[in-house]
Amino acid sequence: MSRMGRVRAETSAGWRSFVRRRTAVFFTFFFPVILIVIFGALIRTDPTGEGLFTEPAAYYVPGYLAVVVLFTPLSRMGSEVARHREGSRFEKLATTPLTRGEWLLAQTAVNAAIIGLASLLILGLVILLTGAQIAFSPLLIPYILIGVVCFCGVGAMLGSYTDSQDGAVAASNAIGLPLLFLSETFISLSQLPSWFGPLVNLSPLTYFARGVRAATYAGAEVSTVAGIDPALANLGILTALAVIAFALGARSIPRTD
Amino acid sequence: MEAVVEATDLEKTYGETVALSRASLSVARGEVFALIGPNGAGKTTLVRALTGTTEPDGGSARILGASPAAVDRDRLGVLPQEFSPPGRLSARELLAYYAGLYDDARDPEDVLADVGLVDAGDTWYEDLSGGQQRRACVGSALVNDPDLLFLDEPTTGIDPAGRRTVWRLIEDLADAGTTVVLTTHDMAEAERLADRVGLLADGSLVAQGTPTDLVQDHGGSSRLTVETEADPDAFADLAYPVDRPERTRGRTPDGAVVVRDIDPAAIGTVVDYLETHDIAYTELSWAEPDLEDVYLALADATERERTDRLESESGDADLAQAGETA
Repeated sequence: MSRMGRVRAETSAGWRSFVRRRTAVFFTFFFPVILIVIFGALIRTDPTGEGLFTEPAAYYVPGYLAVVVLFTPLSRMGSEVARHREGSRFEKLATTPLTRGEWLLAQTAVNAAIIGLASLLILGLVILLTGAQIAFSPLLIPYILIGVVCFCGVGAMLGSYTDSQDGAVAASNAIGLPLLFLSETFISLSQLPSWFGPLVNLSPLTYFARGVRAATYAGAEVSTVAGIDPALANLGILTALAVIAFALGARSIPRTD
Repeated sequence: MEAVVEATDLEKTYGETVALSRASLSVARGEVFALIGPNGAGKTTLVRALTGTTEPDGGSARILGASPAAVDRDRLGVLPQEFSPPGRLSARELLAYYAGLYDDARDPEDVLADVGLVDAGDTWYEDLSGGQQRRACVGSALVNDPDLLFLDEPTTGIDPAGRRTVWRLIEDLADAGTTVVLTTHDMAEAERLADRVGLLADGSLVAQGTPTDLVQDHGGSSRLTVETEADPDAFADLAYPVDRPERTRGRTPDGAVVVRDIDPAAIGTVVDYLETHDIAYTELSWAEPDLEDVYLALADATERERTDRLESESGDADLAQAGETA
């Protein structure tokens, strides 16, 4: 059996396990929908006003996408790793030819499929409910895929270093929420204290938000990076961070007790 | 004969708890080796050390000619003790999933039949009975037709009929040349399946051998159990040793006196004695010593040694403290 065969077997099992947990499926899609309804349709953007949500609706598209690109892998991977550990599944898998990297790749593929579908739903709802005018750049696909790879790696680390499913979910919320709001998704850099600026650059989600905004929003004021188009440059940075996060995530998965 | 499993002086501690203490064993190709011992004796830790899922603190282990971490995993089958696979895959899907991880796996349908789950093949794992779940787990260790199979308490929670299905399966595998290392609390299982048995106590392998040799060396004598309220002193004139074992000692019922070292042909003399001396009894049963007697004798001996050691250490500490005070 080739590496692809092993990954396919693990992916198939992971996908079936996910779609058969109906509440997990429902809330995976309900969470971003409710955020769009609250922020996009109830609060609404006000380009002439002050405070939050003063940009045009299209500005916040990266933020809505980030909700699933960030939160779904963090919470799913965190709890999946914890569930595997509690059921001695890693102990079992450690004695099969499946490697940790292959396991994480398979779980990432499952997450990519889920988040791909959720992203389509989000884009449709954002346009429908907020009237956002966005460009459908093909770069959206690699941004979402690479973002999923990156945060699956981070989620695997959270699951590995927490001692239970509850702990993994709590940790993913504690890390995910600040990242979601402090990565130039819903709050622009100008609304934050100047000393906070460098910290924003530490978040992988910042490069996702900047790049997606540059690729989809015509009015985006995203600066070039070393003279490279921001849509491509931020994708490059996000890819590098994803490779590191994936490698660390795979390495963190327990093989022994 | 070529050793498929070799462990020398394995050591493992968790904090202050000694899980393995200089544990050494060798298992030959095609042999079935059963590890028995009380809870916490180190059986699971030993299996983990041999399968590479725990790093021993000392000693060395080799399986199939390689270190556990480097062994060809296509040749290895493992059933962890507290294994809980994905609950919302059917038994059939579960076996297909694990088969998909190997280069040259068996047909999952054949494995499903081997573990007696054809009728429940489409039932989600979480909806199977406890025994069916364990059989599905056993199946997951067989999908790659392993040369070396580790089964950590394979029949725990399985009903007698299901247990026999698993036993027959293990016997067939052994007949076909698979080397099997299993742990169990079921002495009948060890006695029926194992070519050799190792008894672990406090992390040490305190005895190893064929069930017959172990029984001969450590099982004690045959015994005639007389269920009676009479005092053992009433048997004083009988030409055999008599005792009233503690209630905790294995299968001896409350209110029983055990006559030891007695040949079955001599049981009549005991019956005559009981009648002559007017000793009321409700039942007589005669038994050869078996593996359970070995287990109880060796586990008791280890427990006594540990208690003596602790008391001695405690006494030494008291003396040292008294010396310091003086």
